[in-house]
Amino acid sequence: MPIKRSYVDVLEANAFIQKWADSFFFQCTTRTVQESKLFPVNPYIALSYYNAWYRYPEVLRKVDAAMPAEEIGERARQVGTYVNTISMGVGPQFYLGGRQWMLDMGILKPTDCVEDVLDVLDFARRLNLSYHRAEAHIMPSDGNHKDQIHTARQTGFFEDNAIGVTPGDKLHHAFTRFMAAVSAYGFLSHCECRLSFCNNGPYRTKDGNQMLVRDMLDLSECDFPWMDGVSSEIEFNNLTVPVIMKDTDFHMVDDWGSFEASPSYDNEKLVAIGLYTSDWLSDGYVPVHMDSASELADYLDDQREKMEAATAEMWKMMAGWSREQMIDAGLLVYYAILKDVAHFAGVYEQDDWFQVDERTQRFKPLMNDEYGNSAIAELVGLVSLTSQDRGPHRMERYSRDRTEMWTTIPYSVLADDEWTARVGPMGEGVTTLPAKTAKWTTTRGKLTQEECNAAAKAFHSKAFDLRHYDDDVWAKNNPDDPRAAELAAATGG
Amino acid sequence: MSDSDAAARPYPDIWSRESATPVVERYHSAVRALVAEKFAAGGKSWQEAVEDRSLEPTAQELEKIEADLLAEGYKFDVSATISLKEEPDKYKPLAGIANTGEHETDEEGRPIVGTGDNVFKAPADVTGVARYISDVEKVMEMLTGGVPEKTVAIIDDSGGTLTAPILGDFTAVVCMGGTVRSHLGILTREYNVPCLMNATLDGLADGDEVVVEYSKPAADAYADAEAAAEHRARIIKVS
Repeated sequence: MPIKRSYVDVLEANAFIQKWADSFFFQCTTRTVQESKLFPVNPYIALSYYNAWYRYPEVLRKVDAAMPAEEIGERARQVGTYVNTISMGVGPQFYLGGRQWMLDMGILKPTDCVEDVLDVLDFARRLNLSYHRAEAHIMPSDGNHKDQIHTARQTGFFEDNAIGVTPGDKLHHAFTRFMAAVSAYGFLSHCECRLSFCNNGPYRTKDGNQMLVRDMLDLSECDFPWMDGVSSEIEFNNLTVPVIMKDTDFHMVDDWGSFEASPSYDNEKLVAIGLYTSDWLSDGYVPVHMDSASELADYLDDQREKMEAATAEMWKMMAGWSREQMIDAGLLVYYAILKDVAHFAGVYEQDDWFQVDERTQRFKPLMNDEYGNSAIAELVGLVSLTSQDRGPHRMERYSRDRTEMWTTIPYSVLADDEWTARVGPMGEGVTTLPAKTAKWTTTRGKLTQEECNAAAKAFHSKAFDLRHYDDDVWAKNNPDDPRAAELAAATGG
Repeated sequence: MSDSDAAARPYPDIWSRESATPVVERYHSAVRALVAEKFAAGGKSWQEAVEDRSLEPTAQELEKIEADLLAEGYKFDVSATISLKEEPDKYKPLAGIANTGEHETDEEGRPIVGTGDNVFKAPADVTGVARYISDVEKVMEMLTGGVPEKTVAIIDDSGGTLTAPILGDFTAVVCMGGTVRSHLGILTREYNVPCLMNATLDGLADGDEVVVEYSKPAADAYADAEAAAEHRARIIKVS
């Protein structure tokens, strides 16, 4: 019996598979190889793709049933969380990477687990569509590498409340030192991965400068069990810093939330900054110590010192880990890239997101450093695996080679019975890391997992309730409508 | 090892090719052959075999694939020092800094012991002491005892984690890998610590006093190799 999905379902899924392949190829080949002498990075990346393949179908169906993906995307664009441009863009890539491993090793055919593939991609499609709706793009590369997720009410709020800085003043000094410390801290807490940071924008400001909105995420005790205790002095889990810069053109904000500027980003060009916190329990962005420049500078200095201390302590802990512990931590950082969708939906379970599936575990014996490096290089850089070859006439978008990164779904599934539906339920999970014991740091204080989920289910965002009017096109022609005033009042926590 | 043998595949592929790297080719071919063997022996349809997972390799079968390669005397390239520390017999030893004994000299006749891509233009060149930092033990020593003054850290890791807790204390950095867009390049820019990435070194020893041309313009990450080579900053040994 053919699959009970429409022709358009498969057409759209395949278009998204190719779209994601194009995006990932550009991102992966315009960067350097990721490496670390501390962490076996590519072995853990390769394993994370297996975990995504085996676990995403079930965990994302659970999330979607509690809160549809398009609602999560709508909520997420109004706050700074892990549900952002990089995680929503890259999550499906990891899943498709797991599928490609299976195809290349001959364990599966392209006609296998088709319902899973369609459902995971549909979840990601709806999530990205609603998150990026302000610009009506699906990912930044669609807009020539810019990522304007916010409407004018939000960017106007950021601009109007930004605090001016001058090179050499107290706030400028504190801010630049803070940004260095939080960068090192974020790379370490994320095991060499850059998921702690995501930028959106740029946005024009009234005086002709440009504003970039910079999110720094999972800074305090959160989902990562290794941050329990060591990160307890960090007050907020997520921080958002809008930076306004003069004489700077952010000519690229890419699909991974990275930016490039002309001329290069230079703190000497800083004009004004802000500091906010938010999460899946906050109504927008809550200002943090922004009553004066001096107060904000003192706070940034305080948090910088605590982050530097936490960096040293966390590094000592990680330096004592076994290779398998490093592998588990890294692969779980990558695999759990979509975890915050479960927080928004109020169905977050630590074991769903921070366990290595027993079927993933089987592949660990292959993951020496050389295989990990070579396998990732072939999959996403060289695009040279046998399963990626599309024949002598094919030309890839950028390389012009005959290979494509991700394999599409054969249309035969619409006509015959040569296909399978699902990868099956999640297997038993294991981890070599200590269990999480601390509470989660939220804008409602420190909460247990059960308290987080209950609060998420009970939460109503004012801006979400007015979502159909949070639209620059509507706002342009309805300045006196009371709902515009209500939205403005709902901005800023 | 060729993958052209159709019998070693569980299903046909008219556009098959060898993988670009030897270990991937070896491993994936071995798994394909294993799956083909299990499928042929199972007597089930493909769909039945997928759904009861009988095609999936076991951990023991995958362990054997690596064991067979190691039994031939193969040694893997290492990335993380923990890998070499835990399984020294499985990996090649880490290569140190080359020393061919042949050096160009600068305008003052001093040996040029390396070049690299400048992350950002510093106000002036930096003179300091080259200190090689490639493992956890060295970082721990500096974390507990302090980073010596005038340290130009010579790092063979473009990541941001190995030196994370002491990076801000370096006078400058020379990294033997990555690009100016690597994590280490990003971090040194944030810390305002002068840094060369993608450095090639020859004849530099731990403890040498060097002057590094950090006042050169920042490297263009998108420049072609020839243009980039012209703008590389030099590392000059002064004593």
